[in-house]
Amino acid sequence: MSVEIDHATAVSTLYDVLVVGSGVSGAIVARSLAERGLHVLVVEAGPGEELSLADYDTYLTRFYGAVAKDNNSAYEVNPNAPMPRSPDVRRLQAGHPDSTGYLIQNGPYEMDSTYTRVLGGTTMHWEGKAMRMLPEDFEMRSRFGQGRDWPIGYDDLEPHYRQAERELGVSADVADQTFYGITFPPGYEFPMHGLPPSYLDTIIARDLDGTVIQLEDTACTVSVRPTAQARNGMPNPAYDGGKGYVPVGAVSTHQVDQGDRCQGNINCVPLCPVQAKYNARKTLSIGLRTGRIDILTQTIASRVHVGEDGQISHIDYQAYGSTSSPDHVTGSLRATKYVLAANPVENARLLLASGLPGSSGLVGRNLMDHAYLLTWATLPEIAGTMRGSQCTSGIEDFRSGGFRSRHAAMRVSIHNDGWSWPTGSPYTDLLELVDDGNVYGETLRRRVVDRISRQLMLSFMIELTPEPSNRITVDGRYTDALGNLRPVLSYSLPEYTMDAVSASRRVSRRLFQRLGAEDQTKYDPLDPGFVAHQGEGYVIRGGNHWSGTHIMGSSSRDSVVDDHQRSWDHENLYLVGSGSMPSIGTSNTTLTLAALSFRTADHIASELTTRPSLTVGA
Amino acid sequence: MTLRRIATVTDLHQYLQVALQLEHATIPPYLTALYSMHPSTNADANRVIRVVAVEEMLHLTLAANLLNAVGGEPDLTVDGFVPVYPCHLPDGEDDFEVGTRAFSPEAIDSFLKIERPAEGENQRFVARKRSHRALLPRVDAHEDDLHFFSIGEFYAEIGDGLHRLYEQHGEALFCGDTARQVGPEYYYSGGGAIVKVTDADSAAAAMRVISEQGEGLGGGIFDEEGELAHYYRFQQLLLGRYYQPGDDAGNPTGPTLDVDWDAVYPIVADADFHHYTEPGELRDAVLAYSASYGDFLARLTEAFRGHPELLLPAVADMFRIKELASQIMRNPMPGRDGMNAAPIFRGLASVGLSSVKVA
Repeated sequence: MSVEIDHATAVSTLYDVLVVGSGVSGAIVARSLAERGLHVLVVEAGPGEELSLADYDTYLTRFYGAVAKDNNSAYEVNPNAPMPRSPDVRRLQAGHPDSTGYLIQNGPYEMDSTYTRVLGGTTMHWEGKAMRMLPEDFEMRSRFGQGRDWPIGYDDLEPHYRQAERELGVSADVADQTFYGITFPPGYEFPMHGLPPSYLDTIIARDLDGTVIQLEDTACTVSVRPTAQARNGMPNPAYDGGKGYVPVGAVSTHQVDQGDRCQGNINCVPLCPVQAKYNARKTLSIGLRTGRIDILTQTIASRVHVGEDGQISHIDYQAYGSTSSPDHVTGSLRATKYVLAANPVENARLLLASGLPGSSGLVGRNLMDHAYLLTWATLPEIAGTMRGSQCTSGIEDFRSGGFRSRHAAMRVSIHNDGWSWPTGSPYTDLLELVDDGNVYGETLRRRVVDRISRQLMLSFMIELTPEPSNRITVDGRYTDALGNLRPVLSYSLPEYTMDAVSASRRVSRRLFQRLGAEDQTKYDPLDPGFVAHQGEGYVIRGGNHWSGTHIMGSSSRDSVVDDHQRSWDHENLYLVGSGSMPSIGTSNTTLTLAALSFRTADHIASELTTRPSLTVGA
Repeated sequence: MTLRRIATVTDLHQYLQVALQLEHATIPPYLTALYSMHPSTNADANRVIRVVAVEEMLHLTLAANLLNAVGGEPDLTVDGFVPVYPCHLPDGEDDFEVGTRAFSPEAIDSFLKIERPAEGENQRFVARKRSHRALLPRVDAHEDDLHFFSIGEFYAEIGDGLHRLYEQHGEALFCGDTARQVGPEYYYSGGGAIVKVTDADSAAAAMRVISEQGEGLGGGIFDEEGELAHYYRFQQLLLGRYYQPGDDAGNPTGPTLDVDWDAVYPIVADADFHHYTEPGELRDAVLAYSASYGDFLARLTEAFRGHPELLLPAVADMFRIKELASQIMRNPMPGRDGMNAAPIFRGLASVGLSSVKVA
């Protein structure tokens, strides 16, 4: 499967569509349009020589050998197209921006969210939760007086959610996922049955189901539910009116026959060893079969140019041959339609670096992410912690209700990987037992098992509302190895979110009490992300769910894109991905941005195929 | 042509039970070669061999579906189900043996012979003396001088037999309990779809996968599904290059393929119980391995007899088998300089028998 063409050919071609970014949104747009006969060029800033298993395996090997196993540890350091990494984040001093990492932390709050710049984008490290948003999440302003309403609703997006569930290969059962207003068409089935809950899940459900917790005026009854996931499970023969579903396994240039089913490995983040978890390379590799997608990797879109008619005229690129040298060549690429799918930070950074802040001035603003509060405890019994996949169940009951007019909603994940996120378990446990506990041999083995298999970690994923002051900007003082402006982040957590942080800690104490678990949660004031609120301190972690920097709305005055993710200012420019989302609710953003990508692909296709003057290809 | 053709449903049951045995028999040699590679080396070779082994597992499951469909009782626990390696292939060729050996050019050479394409059209029945090391057991116990099929022709006879019996019995031939059929919910990753066998059409579909997957089409190197024939997959390891569509046999022009013949544990060939007479941890580990493998075959038997859901824990069994095998292969053999131990694929019963043999 030859995926690469040379730059000279690309420069001399007028493509129907130029897609910047090869992550999930770019891949979906590219595949959808190529399958409808359009000629698409995808440029990816990061490396990814070919869609081979060998390439993927080099990432796995690097991850296995890495000392710090952060979510970008599988990828080489690449000064030409750098990416944020969580170990780079330091506690900020007021008034002193930190430029240690790629992302300039301007404060007041430091944020450890990341994204991945390689072929396949951040799906090369995502965890794989594939949840729809609640209908009420689309109406935050009118229902709760908070944040913004979307110009479209759940019902508009519902058919595209189904497309996204097919593309990502979602395993779930409709009965488990029907809650708080989420609806499915009659007879709908997910492509694959839900993955089995872990033993840990069953223990938590046994002790927590039926617990009533009051959030403001809302009484929430806890019910542990399986989580919809984009990882391969048992195909549902009733899917698609009885046609069934064939899982998409590992991407490879040679037959490998692996990844058709989740094996329960625990290192879903960053990489599933067998590719049972979806990554955007799956979409790209299927799209390539059309013969109408060209891919250029190690090719950075460096500047977007606008012609006199207000349309995008071309995009400049820099192509580098090696990640260890800044040597590069430049050129310009042309297409009828341009799609920026480089993620919310990079989309905004590219536009701002091109001098295009938008007529509303909102490019880069209204940045959102989920705020994560991690709480952890020791269970009174062996719970089999560390058997994957990473999260198989959660609690959805703090996501919906009248309390959302007072504070943000929260979603709880039960982590099969124990305390790995907050404490670095199991590696730190082992070091402690050996170095401080002075145990070895049989005793060490027993102590490791006893300690780790009773770990419980509940993460609270808390929504943010769009605030114009939370933003990405650029600053001529900060550039990368190729001279591109680096993103500068200004970020703070709204009161609305912090009140939910306090509520989450209260809830976790209640839940631990019900479980008879020993609360081990500690927040160190010296840790990045430490925030005090109402007399108590918390460490807030980022969720890598960057959103909102090219927010969608119904008017060019107060938004950047329309409901098709088309730029209000430039008719042939689309900004796709979670950057368009006016709210993020309490769902991981990938399924929703994938659904939006399908909707936008439909729109672009209809635009291009109804124009009589169109010449397909060049 | 003295071999009895399939005339009765009982004959068909016997043939299909032999098919189970045949499909299984190549798996221990492939797994031994796989597990003998040093961890995280030989990635390309590992994948090539793994995919073929996985396809043999698919064929094994399809043979069980066929046997169940016609009312038979799959049994992977009968004495002698696993051959004693080294052994000859059942098509009567005695110019090479199949064994459980370390990954090496010689091992790949024997894999090439297992998978070598049929040479002529009229070799349906090959008159040969039955070798005591033959992989296929007797098909007709009444014959003194048995004759053997090639693997392809063996399946051709099953296909013909199915056809003849179907003409006699009609759909009544497929009298088996459909709940015994293993479907895609329980079997996956097989380089092709699992087929539930409930009638003549699905039986034909299952037979096509078993007998044609991995066989080159019309002498070509790719099969009907566009998959590279097993023979040429193995040949890539010796030639150091991948085949790509359009290539001629013997001349692959795809990307190079990394093979490191030295990154391999020097394991004893065709390990058997007589290699482990000394009491100790190594012997315990090897006996435990054989017992685990026996448990695994017992679990598969139960799965094929109406509990297909047992294939889910069987996946965990396979991880355990791999881990135990790797542990054994990392150990030197006492008294045999420069040679490492290797696991024995037998079973619980055989462990008992062996102690008799050993004594």
